Formats: sequence, structure tokens, C-alpha cells
Amino acid sequence: MNTPPSEHDIHAYVDGRLEGTQREAVERYLARLPERAAEVQGWLRDAQRLRAAIGGTQGLSDNGALHPGVVRARRRQRRIARLSLAAAVVLCLGLGGVGGWQVRGMRSDIAVAPMADAMAAYRLVALDHAARPDVVPQRAGDMQAWLDAHFEHAARLPDLSGAGFHAVGGRLFATDQGPAAMVLYEDAAGHAISFYVRPPGPRNHLLPTGQRSDGGLVAQYWSGQGYNYAMVSRDDGVDRQVAAQARQRSI
Amino acid sequence: MSVHAFDDQLSELLPRLRRFALWLTRDLSSADDLVQSTMERALSTRAARRDDGDLRAWLFRILYRQFLDARRRAQRYAWLLGRLREDDEPQWPSAEREVLAQSALAAFEHLTPEQRSLLLWVTVEGLSYQQVADILEVPIGTVMSRLSRARQAMRRHGEGEQPTPSLRLLR
Repeated sequence: MNTPPSEHDIHAYVDGRLEGTQREAVERYLARLPERAAEVQGWLRDAQRLRAAIGGTQGLSDNGALHPGVVRARRRQRRIARLSLAAAVVLCLGLGGVGGWQVRGMRSDIAVAPMADAMAAYRLVALDHAARPDVVPQRAGDMQAWLDAHFEHAARLPDLSGAGFHAVGGRLFATDQGPAAMVLYEDAAGHAISFYVRPPGPRNHLLPTGQRSDGGLVAQYWSGQGYNYAMVSRDDGVDRQVAAQARQRSI
Repeated sequence: MSVHAFDDQLSELLPRLRRFALWLTRDLSSADDLVQSTMERALSTRAARRDDGDLRAWLFRILYRQFLDARRRAQRYAWLLGRLREDDEPQWPSAEREVLAQSALAAFEHLTPEQRSLLLWVTVEGLSYQQVADILEVPIGTVMSRLSRARQAMRRHGEGEQPTPSLRLLR
């Protein structure tokens, strides 16, 4: 009779999960201890206010990318892409056995989509956080100076500050044709856009202006001054536009 | 359960998952990233799931685990620590910010992500204590003591605007 109710029963009382005699036992206990009762009443009020404030479904704008059908389709697409890449490799290995050296160039054309390395770099640093930048700018101009040290006469870094994006770090990547550089921009909401510059692809291949989407990202690419460039961002809404405008100004 | 029925159930739970993720990360784009990877995982491991469990608790568990993993990964890479905004100004969408300003949710916001999760699951989502214990992989007694600490912390932070007397001295 006088044993105080367990912690479990007190919480169950607060959460309205106690019935009958158990509930009465808690009430009797609290009636004896006004201070404890005041605290439990406080818990009860907090719980009610929490439910009232965030219990309803709130006006978060819909995000189409999260719907099961879309997620399913994306998974399917990735699987198909992987399969066709595997098929291409198998085909090329087969042809390679027969056709030898000449086919080698063809394989790299089939298997390597334009600016795949720019998108991989973006994923690595901005999404997976698996790689840290080599440099973090301390002052305005730091990023440009760093870029100039590695790439002579490359295009100027785009200024995205009008859209609220600022350079937060730069990193070098290795490609088959020499070093590439990525500069990552972020806005206050944590959205990331990258500027990527690399030497021209195999056989000195400069890219025409174009774009390619893959796995929720888009690379908008172009070339000039002897390098290939890409702006990589999420493939939706404002980020994509900001990247497009930056490319427009750079061409 | 057919594929369509399963998708429908997932869609229905989407707003709750986003709300939970938002309270965890306090940043809409990180929250949606988290929900997206949760959906991918849910769709890819569905076959392995026992059908008798509660779908909602199962999804919360996946989402929470992914949050912990992401945080662990980020902590290994110090420069990105700021991205998680543990101590930073939270980045709320404007509707949420209004609610915050209007109500005593400011107290809720001061809790740790673990405490926020606990109170959301128990108070708002109405999960059973056993389901919460399963999500956190701890005994039910541990859930109870953590719940006490969360509720006390909520009291403490909410005190300024509370007319009720403080009981901290008792403990």
C-alpha cells in the first residue's frame, strides 16, 4: 500500500497508459507528496503542449524525391546502369580479345560518362563526407590563389555569393590525365555546389557544353582555356539554376 | 502485402518521418537526405523484415540508426562537424520557426537529439515503451530512466515561462 509506484508506472500515468487500480495507486501516492505531484503535473503539461505543437502534420512542402515510387524507380535505374556498364565491359573485353588495341578507345567512350569524376568528387566530399578538403579559405581570394597555383590560365572561380553560396574548401583529385580540382560552395542551408576543373579527357578530348543527371545530381559542363569544367549540384530547383547561371557567366 | 500496399503505407508515414528527421538534424536538407536513405533501405530490406512488427517503429529505427551512423562518420572528419549543427544555430524552415517562437517548444529544442527522439516517440507518436526499447536496443528500465531525465530536462529548460514551482531541489 505504501510502496511508491515504479518509474514505469509514473511515466505510464503521464502518458495515459494506466488504468483502474494502478492509476488510483499513483494518484494516492501523488496526493501524499504535493511536490512530486507538481513535478508530474509539469511533465503532463509538457507532454500535452508538445503534442499540441507538433502533433499535427505540419506544412512541410512536399519533396517528390522521397516518395516510394520515385525511390524505387531510382534504385531500378541504378541497377540498370550498373548492368549495362557491366555488359559494356564484358562486350569490350570480348572485342578486345578479337580486335585488340583499337577497341580500347571505344571502351573508355562507352564506360566513362562525361564528368563522372566531377560527380564522384562531389559525392565523396559533399554528400558522404568521406574526404576532407586540402584547403579551407581564410580570406577572400585564398581559393582563387590556390587554384591558380595548380592550374595556369584556368577560368576564374565563379562568384556565387549573390545566391548565398560561399567557397568552403578545395581539394585536388587524381585523374588519368593529371590532377583535377574541386572547389565546394555552400549556402546557409547546407546545400552544396561544386566547381570542378580537370585536364581534357583521353585523346585530348574537350567537352562540348552540356549536362548530365545521375542519382539526384546534375553536372553542367563546358570547356575553355584548355580545360574541362563542371558545376555539380543537386538536380532540383534553385541549386541547379545557380549552377547554370555560374556556367553561363564562365563561358 | 503487395508492393502497392506497402508503398502506400510508406507514403502515409512520410510526413512523420520527415518531422522526426527534422527534429533530429534541425536542418531540412539533412533531414530529407536522412529520410531518403531510410526509404531506400526500407525498400531494399523489406523482404527480410518480419511482417508482424509495427512498420512505423521499424522505420523510426532505421532512420535513427542512420542518423547515428552519419554522426559517427562526421565526427571522424572534424571539418564537417559544423555541418551537423549540434551547437550551431538550427536551420528551420520558416513554418517550424514560427511554431518555435510561439510556444514553449524552445525548451524541447534544448534537449539532446536522443532526448528529443525519446519524447517524440513516446509522447507524440505514442510508441510503446517496449518499441522504444527495441529501437534503442536497451532494456526497458533504461528507457524509463532516460525518459525521466528527458522530462526533467524539459522542465528545467521550460521553467522560465512556467508559473509552477521548481522541484529541482528535491533531487
